[in-house]
Amino acid sequence: MMADSGPKEVAVIGNTELTSAELDNNIKNTMVEIEKGTSLLRKMEISVAEAEKRTGKNTVNMQEIYTVYLIETRPVDALTEGITPDSLWRRYSEFELLRNYLLVTYPFVVVAPLPEKRAEIVWHKLSADNMDPDFVERRRVGLENFLHRVASHPVLCNDNIFYIFLTEDKDWKEMVYETGFQAKADSRLKAVNAAFRVKNPDGRFTELKHYSDELQTVLSQLLRVRARVADRLYGVYKVHGNYGRVFSEWSAIEKEMGDGLQSAGHHMDAYAASVDDILEEEEHYADQLKEYLFYTDALRAVCRKHELTQFELEMVALDLACKKQQKEELVTGTVRTFSLKGMTSKLFGQETAEQREAKLQVLEQQLKEGEEAVKEKNTESDEFVKTAWVDIERFKDQKDRDLKEALISYAVMQISMCKKGIQVWTNAKECFNKM
Amino acid sequence: MSAGTPKSLASSGQKPIQEICHPLGAEDTASVLTPSPDVGNTITSIGGKDLSLPNGTPVETSSPASSSSLLNRLQLDDDLDGETRDLFVTVEDPKKHVSTMETYITYMVATKTTRVEFDLPEYSVRRRYQDFDWLRTKLEDTQPTHLIPPLPEKFVMKGVVDRFSEEFVETRRKALDKFLKRVADHPVLSFNEHFNAFLSAKDLNKRQGLALLSKMGESVKYVTGGYKLRGRPVEFSAMGDYLDMFTQKLGTIDRIAQRIIKEQSEYQVELREYGPVYTTWALSEAELQGPLEGVASCMANCSSALDELTQDMSEDFLPVLREYVLYIESMKIVLKKRDNIQAEYEAKLEAAAFRKEDRASCTQVPTDVEKCHDRVECCNADLKSDWDRWQNNKRQDFRQLLTGMADHNIQYYEKCLAAWESVIPLLRDKQPQETETEED
Repeated sequence: MMADSGPKEVAVIGNTELTSAELDNNIKNTMVEIEKGTSLLRKMEISVAEAEKRTGKNTVNMQEIYTVYLIETRPVDALTEGITPDSLWRRYSEFELLRNYLLVTYPFVVVAPLPEKRAEIVWHKLSADNMDPDFVERRRVGLENFLHRVASHPVLCNDNIFYIFLTEDKDWKEMVYETGFQAKADSRLKAVNAAFRVKNPDGRFTELKHYSDELQTVLSQLLRVRARVADRLYGVYKVHGNYGRVFSEWSAIEKEMGDGLQSAGHHMDAYAASVDDILEEEEHYADQLKEYLFYTDALRAVCRKHELTQFELEMVALDLACKKQQKEELVTGTVRTFSLKGMTSKLFGQETAEQREAKLQVLEQQLKEGEEAVKEKNTESDEFVKTAWVDIERFKDQKDRDLKEALISYAVMQISMCKKGIQVWTNAKECFNKM
Repeated sequence: MSAGTPKSLASSGQKPIQEICHPLGAEDTASVLTPSPDVGNTITSIGGKDLSLPNGTPVETSSPASSSSLLNRLQLDDDLDGETRDLFVTVEDPKKHVSTMETYITYMVATKTTRVEFDLPEYSVRRRYQDFDWLRTKLEDTQPTHLIPPLPEKFVMKGVVDRFSEEFVETRRKALDKFLKRVADHPVLSFNEHFNAFLSAKDLNKRQGLALLSKMGESVKYVTGGYKLRGRPVEFSAMGDYLDMFTQKLGTIDRIAQRIIKEQSEYQVELREYGPVYTTWALSEAELQGPLEGVASCMANCSSALDELTQDMSEDFLPVLREYVLYIESMKIVLKKRDNIQAEYEAKLEAAAFRKEDRASCTQVPTDVEKCHDRVECCNADLKSDWDRWQNNKRQDFRQLLTGMADHNIQYYEKCLAAWESVIPLLRDKQPQETETEED
C-alpha cells in the first residue's frame, strides 16, 4: 500500500471549527486520494528494503545481536531511473520510539501498529526465533507497511519527526526526546482511574471499546486455530510423499505396471512438496489479520484518551460546583453541608465580616478561574471527540476495505490450492490408467 | 456415504447386454432390494419371510441395488472381450436373520447359465458367509494345484466393527461377489462339483466338522511334505519372491493409507473449529458480516467434502488391499504344495532308480513314479496359467483401485473449488454506500 499525500483541508490539533460537512469532506478526500493511486507521501517513495544483523553493546554493556532495517526514500516525480534512493538504517526499537511519540502527540488518531516484536502465533514449520530469516523477512514487510500507513494518514504524514525518521540518520533520537512528548504521556494510573470513574462517557466510545475487545478476542482465536489447521494440512500432504517412495519400489518388481506406477509416484512427490508454497502464501493472510489484531490496541488507546479527557472535564466541573456551593454558604451564612469551616466556626466562633469578605473575594476569583477551566476542558473534550471520530470513521472504512481484500485473496489462494490438487490427482490418475 | 456410480468389479461372468434379463425377474417377486443409503438400518426378517420396502411400496426396478447389479453385467472385461460367457453369478441383497440362537446375514446368490452341468438355466439361493467359507475349503481340497481366490476376512472383533452396519455388509458383499465371479471365470474351478452345489442346492449338506478336519489334514500333508526339494524351477522361485515383495509393498501402502485417513481426521477436527470462528466474528461486524458468513459456510462445505473423502477411502480402498494380502497368503500355500509334489516325485524317482540298479532287468518306469511325474506336470501347468490369470486380474484390480483413489481426491477438490468459487462474488459484493468502483 503506497503512502498518500496529505490533503489540504485536514483535521489537525488546534482547528476546532470543523463542521460536519467539512468532516465528511475530509473523509471523502482521504479516501479518494488513496483510491486514485496517486498516493505518495509528499511525492515520496518509501520502502524498507533490507534487513541486516549487527552486533553491539547494549545498555547494560553486554554483547547483543540485533537486526537493522534499511529505509529507502526517493522523490516520486524525479526521473526515477538510475537515481539511487536516500537510505538509512533503523532498529526495531527506533520504530517503537517513533510510534510512541505519535501515540502521545496525536492521541485522537488510531495509529497503525508495528509488526510483532517476537514471533508468537506460529505453526510448527516456523520457529519462534527472531533470527529466523522468514520471520525477519515478514517483519521487514510489516515495518514497511507501518511506514506506508503513517505516510498515508492525513494527519500523521505531516509530522516533522516522522519525516526526519525517514530521512535523517543522526540525532533523530535526541530530537524526539526534545519534543518532550514523554511528559505529555498520560500516566497509566490516571488512565485506569478515569476508566473506572468517568460518569458520562460518549456512548460511541463505549461501543468502540467493546467492539475492539471483541475483535481482539475473535482475531486471536482465529489466528490460533488457523495455525493449527495449517499444521494439520501440512501433515496430510507430507504423508502422501510416502506413496511416492512405495510406488517407486513397487514399480521395480512389476513388468507392465511399472511405468505407470513410477510416474504416478512422481506426482505424489510433487503433491507432497506443494504444501510448502501453499502455507507460505497463507502466512501473508495471517499477517493481514495480525495487523488488525494489533490495531485493536490503538483503538482502545483512543477510547482511553476520551475517558481521560472526559474525566478531567468532570473533575473540573465538579470542582466548580463545589466552589459555587461554598460561595453560597458564605453569602447566606448557612452551612448546608458538613465542612471543616462549619466545624471550626462552631468551635471557634463566627468570623468577622472582614474575614468573610476576604474569603468571598478569593472564592470569586477561584470561580472565575474554575469557569475558564471548565470552558477550556469542554472545548478540549469536544474537539477531541470530533477529531477522534473523524479518524475512527476513516479507520473503519480502511478496515472494511482491507479485510475484504484479505478475505478475497484468501479465497483466491484456496481456489488455487484446489486447482493444483485436481491437477496432480488427474495426472496421477492418467498414470494409473496406463498401468 | 459414497453415493454415485456403483463400482464395477473387474473380471468375469458378463453377458452381452442383449442376453441379460432382469436379475430379479422370475424369482422372488416379493424380495426386497438392498436398502438405499438413505434408508436406516438393514431390514430384518424372521424366518426368511420377505418384506416390502419400509414405506410399504412394492419393489421397484430402478433402485440402486438393481442398477448396481445391472452395471456389474454391463461392464465388459478388458481381457475377455469377445469371449462368450456361459456362467453368470452375482451376490446381492444382504438380509439380516434373527433367530433365538444367533443373528447373521445372508446374501442372495443368483446364477444364470447355459451349461449342461446345471439342471436349470437359473438359480437363486440364499447363502451366508459360512457357506462361502465351506466352498472355498472344498475348492482348496479338491483343486490343490490351483490358486483359489480369497474370501474377505472371516473374523471381526466384536465391539470394534459393527458386523451389521451397512458399510461392513456392503464391503463384504462386494468381496463375496468378486470371489464367486473369479471362480466362475476359472476354466477349471467353475466346473467343480462343489461350486455347482453351492450355486444350485437348496440346502448345502456341508458336514462342516469333517470338512474342517480334512482341510487341516490335507494342508498339513501338502505343506509339510517331508520331501526335500532339489531344484525348484526358476519361474516358481520367481513367483515366490514376487509374492513376498508384493505383500510387503501392500502392507506399506495399507499403513500409508491409514495414516492419511488419520491425518485427515485430525485436520477435520481443526477445520470444524475454524469455520465457526468466522461466524462469531461476523456478529461484531456490519459490512463484513456477509463476507465473513460466506467464508464460514464455505468452510463447512469443505469440511463435509473431506468427510466423504475419508469415508470413501475407508470403505473402498482399505478392504481391497487387505483382501489381496489374504489372496497372496493362499497363493503361497499353493506354491508350497507344488514344491512338495515335485519333491515327492523327485524322491520317488530317485528311489526307483536305486531299485532299478538292483533289478537290472526292469526297464519299465514304475507307474507310481509316472503318476507323480504327471502330477508335477499338471500342477506346474495349472499354476502357470493361473498365475498369468492372477497377474492380469491383479493389474486390473489395482488399476481400478488406484484410479478410484485418484477419483475420490479429485471429487474432493472439485467440491471445495466450487464452494470457494461461489464465495468470491459474495466477497466482492458492492455495498450501496461505496461510490468508488473497485477493480476486480
